[in-house]
Amino acid sequence: MAKYTIKRLLYSVLILFFVMFIIYILMYNMPMGYVETKARELASRPGATKTYTEWLADLNAQYGMDKGVVGGYFTWLKSALTGNWGDSWVWTVPVTQEFHDTVWYSFALGLISFIFEIIIAIPLGITAAKKQYSFTDYFTTVVAMICISMPTFFIATLLKYIFSVKLGWFDLSGMQGRNYMNLSDFGKFLDVAKHFVLPSITLIIISIGGLMRYTRTNMLEVLNSDYIRTARAKGVPEKKVINYHAFRNTLIPLVTTLGGSLPGLFAGALITETLFAIRGIGFASFASMTRGDIPFIMFYLAFISILTLLGNLISDLLYAVVDPRVRLS
Amino acid sequence: MAKYNLNEVLKQRETERSAADFAKAQAKAGWNKTNSFASNAEDPLHTGATPQQQLALDDVSRVKALSPGRQVFKRFVRNRLAVTGSLILIIMFVFSFIGPLFYPYGQKQIFYKFDTMNENYALAKQNTAFNGYDIDPDVTVERKVVNSMNSNIKKMIMSPDNASQHALLVLGEDGSYLIENTADNIYLLSSVDTEKVASLGSSTVKVGTYSQLGKSFEFEKDEIAGLAADAAANIKSKSGSFTSNGVEYTWQKGSKPKTFDVFAETDGLVFTGDDLGSEFEDALNDAVEHDTKLFRSGQTSYFLDQQGKRTDVYELGNRAEAAKVYTSYTLDTFNVGEKVSDEFKIQALLSIGKGNRFESQGVSYTIKEEDGVLVIYDNSGKEYAEFNLFSVRRYSGEDSMEYGLKKAISAKIEDMLEADQKTGSLIYAIPQQAEDGSAMKDEDGNYIMNDTEMKITQRLEGEYVINCEQIKYMIDTYASPSRAHVLGTDGDGFDMLARVMYGGRVSLMVGFVVVIIETILGVIMGGIAGYFGGWVDNLIMRLVDIFYCLPSLPIMIILGAMMDAMRLDPYKRLMVMMAVLGILGRAGVARLVRGQILSLREQEFMVATEATGIRIRDRIFKHLMPNVMPQLIVTATMGLGSVILTESTLSFLGLGVKHPLATWGTIINSVSSASAIAHYAFIWIPVGLLICLTVIAFNFVGDGLRDAYDPKSKR
Repeated sequence: MAKYTIKRLLYSVLILFFVMFIIYILMYNMPMGYVETKARELASRPGATKTYTEWLADLNAQYGMDKGVVGGYFTWLKSALTGNWGDSWVWTVPVTQEFHDTVWYSFALGLISFIFEIIIAIPLGITAAKKQYSFTDYFTTVVAMICISMPTFFIATLLKYIFSVKLGWFDLSGMQGRNYMNLSDFGKFLDVAKHFVLPSITLIIISIGGLMRYTRTNMLEVLNSDYIRTARAKGVPEKKVINYHAFRNTLIPLVTTLGGSLPGLFAGALITETLFAIRGIGFASFASMTRGDIPFIMFYLAFISILTLLGNLISDLLYAVVDPRVRLS
Repeated sequence: MAKYNLNEVLKQRETERSAADFAKAQAKAGWNKTNSFASNAEDPLHTGATPQQQLALDDVSRVKALSPGRQVFKRFVRNRLAVTGSLILIIMFVFSFIGPLFYPYGQKQIFYKFDTMNENYALAKQNTAFNGYDIDPDVTVERKVVNSMNSNIKKMIMSPDNASQHALLVLGEDGSYLIENTADNIYLLSSVDTEKVASLGSSTVKVGTYSQLGKSFEFEKDEIAGLAADAAANIKSKSGSFTSNGVEYTWQKGSKPKTFDVFAETDGLVFTGDDLGSEFEDALNDAVEHDTKLFRSGQTSYFLDQQGKRTDVYELGNRAEAAKVYTSYTLDTFNVGEKVSDEFKIQALLSIGKGNRFESQGVSYTIKEEDGVLVIYDNSGKEYAEFNLFSVRRYSGEDSMEYGLKKAISAKIEDMLEADQKTGSLIYAIPQQAEDGSAMKDEDGNYIMNDTEMKITQRLEGEYVINCEQIKYMIDTYASPSRAHVLGTDGDGFDMLARVMYGGRVSLMVGFVVVIIETILGVIMGGIAGYFGGWVDNLIMRLVDIFYCLPSLPIMIILGAMMDAMRLDPYKRLMVMMAVLGILGRAGVARLVRGQILSLREQEFMVATEATGIRIRDRIFKHLMPNVMPQLIVTATMGLGSVILTESTLSFLGLGVKHPLATWGTIINSVSSASAIAHYAFIWIPVGLLICLTVIAFNFVGDGLRDAYDPKSKR
């Protein structure tokens, strides 16, 4: 187990190295990035002493962009490994600072949706499986399919239209109300919480369908297995069959998948956060991406890649932990 | 499934047997009756289906089931959701690919409409400015003089004495100009040669120059006795004054060092040059007495120019032809929009006060004054035009208004002035505007007139703005659904339904192209890796792992921002987007294909292909691939839905397909602002539902296909 984990970790580091290299190449070749914009701005300032090209060369040297792709990548890698991720160009604070400022909002949003997703999707999936081919089953399947098939932006717009425009219950976007500054600490908390309602619903809707289908399929598989038939033949009450024998076995794949998605809670919801202007890491990175903020994007994409690899690792390890039949090699 | 088919076969057997039994009984009866062999051919013993034949386990008709393809099809058709999905897809394809062929509008066709638009229609004001017309373009007038014409004319009007009101001499840098008032509100500007000959009234005259070095005094004209000595005694500092013989003198530092200019205050006539004699003096005094600015003495004319207490006398030399005529009148013609040449105006203006008759382009006209307005009659005695001090013009300054409307507005403003109101309104028929902004005519060539309420508001003293709702031809933006535009129009005046159709085309096309790219790439990579194994497998799968780990949405966003910066053509952008989506998506397909091939490779039929020595290429593509196909088709179908989602999300964020190309994402994006969400729900809700429906349909079909291919598979 330990050997397997170490092997997987080393392998992940190798993959990460190449992934970041591909991303660095992409970022390096970005025209009209932050540096160019900044150089143009500085050159057109009244009383500018240098031309655009001079500024560009200056800034490139300052930001370590003059060493070529490979050299630049290794410079970046070296400083990143020593914990120096540089300053964000767009946010004008150290990258880690901006990360620290934003990630907890994303985590809160992710966690809320994750909990609700589990609470809603798993019972529904199990109910659907229990009564296969019933109306409930079809209804759940279709609802799950609709949830999977809806584009995030459409759900967000629809929710905004219904709850903000028509009913006026929530603000269209943003994280704070108009008189946020005058509220007590608890009032501030409630105010932010209120602004998190619509984004959370959006996230719940888009993630609920997949989990529901997954639960249903696994439950069906378990219900069709031999030991359930044996239990039923022995005359075990149906309630006990479902809740004790079947449900426990359904949990095996569920725990592994959900465990694998735990790191993803920190990754932020790029589109949802952008549409609702929640100052989470997704929102920050979207703004950085469209403005060519290389240090922040490199950090964010490295972070995301690490989370993905970590998720895969966790889910593989959990599989072995939860189900003793599985041997890792 | 097989059980189902067997049942059907059995049922069929049953009905066949009972029918045969019946026929046999009948035949037997007939045979007994007729004893004929005629029905021998119908003897069931000689037909294929013997009623006596029992079903055995190895019965051909029992083993013979449907072909695999038909079996899959049958299973698929039994799945209601899958059939619904296929139907939706068929409708969607017909709608987006065939619909535009029959729909009259294109995706980039802009629609216009006639609608009322509140605008400033006209401006009415009391003319205070004077406009100049070139009488003789050859006579050049200094720009400075032209620019100050209005203030000079005002100065003439404001001046207290009669003489100044009639004529003014303007001294420019290169020459002099004379402004004469020929009639009310008409001024004539002509260039003139001048020379200052004398000045009248108190003036400072330079007497001479005193040089401290030589203690000498140089007189300008006649020597004044005792002045030199007094100057030598008094002049010390830079400037000052002293008296000599009771006359006060002032001195100032001269241009050369140690020299001083000495001035004397004189009262009366001082000649600049030669003394012009008593005849001139008499004429001058006469002119001053009679308050005229121009007078003659001998053969020359002189002009008096008042400069404070002093009056300068200029000799007028060669007087050129009048260069310009200035007037504050505006000319209103009785015919709508008739353009009158400047030449006509000049002739008319020059003739006023000089017989009131003039000729322009062979037609003679007469001018008569009526109630402060100068009316011009043509030779038939008809009113042709009039000079007016109150001008009513279109807000743009152009003279295209009807005479009646001008009169009506002037009359209304007079009423307003009398009643001391600042606003007023009247109703008048004004022409509708056509495509090119001109007045619109109907089939008979008559103007289409609409009764319009014109609101008059006073803006400044003597200036009024006329505001009305004019019917104009403009881009039909955000039109509500109507018969012409079933889904209305968007912010650019494009027909929504056409956009939705073409948008569906792009969305579906992107989906298919991307899925085809990723399937081809995935199959090649996965196939090679899976079949060959070893280091090839290792290399390819590590590559796949890397691509699998790449966060695709951030990369697409970065690429979108890059292409924004490069200002890529929308079509090229579309290509790049499809290629990148395909490359990023191939990793999943490659994994799937490799996994399938790894398990298939170990099966007996593959061993058989190897044993029979079939070529490697045929082994992969003829024997392995067909077995991977079902999985591949299912993944591709599901992938179509997700690609359409990705594409619409990117387009919604403004980083995918760009305006003016339509896709479902951009259509929603165009009405996603806070205010548009509420007002244009009829645009984005149907389009959003279309995206949902299409993706759902692809997912249903994918699910159905999987169930049909492999009923026991895990979902």
